[in-house]
Amino acid sequence: MSVEQYQQQLGECFNGSQDPNVQQAAQTANQYTEMFKAGQISKDEYQQLLSDIQQTNIINKSVDNQQVMEYMNTAINGLLTLASLAG
Amino acid sequence: MKKILLSLVVLLSGCTVVDAYLMTKYDPNEYQMITDIRSKARQSKAQCDDFNVSKINSSITAYSTQLFALYSEHIPRNKDLIEGSQALNVVAQGLSDQYKNTKVSPAFCKIKFESIETSAEKMQIVIGRRPR
Repeated sequence: MSVEQYQQQLGECFNGSQDPNVQQAAQTANQYTEMFKAGQISKDEYQQLLSDIQQTNIINKSVDNQQVMEYMNTAINGLLTLASLAG
Repeated sequence: MKKILLSLVVLLSGCTVVDAYLMTKYDPNEYQMITDIRSKARQSKAQCDDFNVSKINSSITAYSTQLFALYSEHIPRNKDLIEGSQALNVVAQGLSDQYKNTKVSPAFCKIKFESIETSAEKMQIVIGRRPR
């Protein structure tokens, strides 16, 4: 596949996903590709930035999981408070 | 009543609920560290046109993210943040390594520090919202 075909695939990811993290990753990868094509960043830099998108996905996943945990923690502690009030 | 309710919730919903109930509490040291990383990345982004200053900045940031990852590493029930802190360190270390090996474009430097700042802010929000 050519660079343009991969970029098209990224565009499909952007349009087809409801997940803002996926959309952001697809948009960022396309942006880096354009910068590389324009000679603004070197090949090494381009490769590293694309790898960084995967690291950012790990960070985003950890944040999402944590937010769910916080939400649940609040609910559980709320239930426990209600239970203690009920005696 | 409290124990019965907790047992019931655990039986019905499994380990995720236990993890949520026992989730890591707010740690001011962790919050301080991630705030430092974010602040340093923001400051460094504006200095990317100066190669020598940026080289030092990248080294300081790599050290700070490594310190943060190591600090978080053995905190119980902290799996997600451990993974996130290690990923942040990979991003920062990559920039520092790039400065050791080759020329670095200002555009690359700005993107890297921007990425570190954004990720650090996300993690700062998570740490700051933890139960006290």
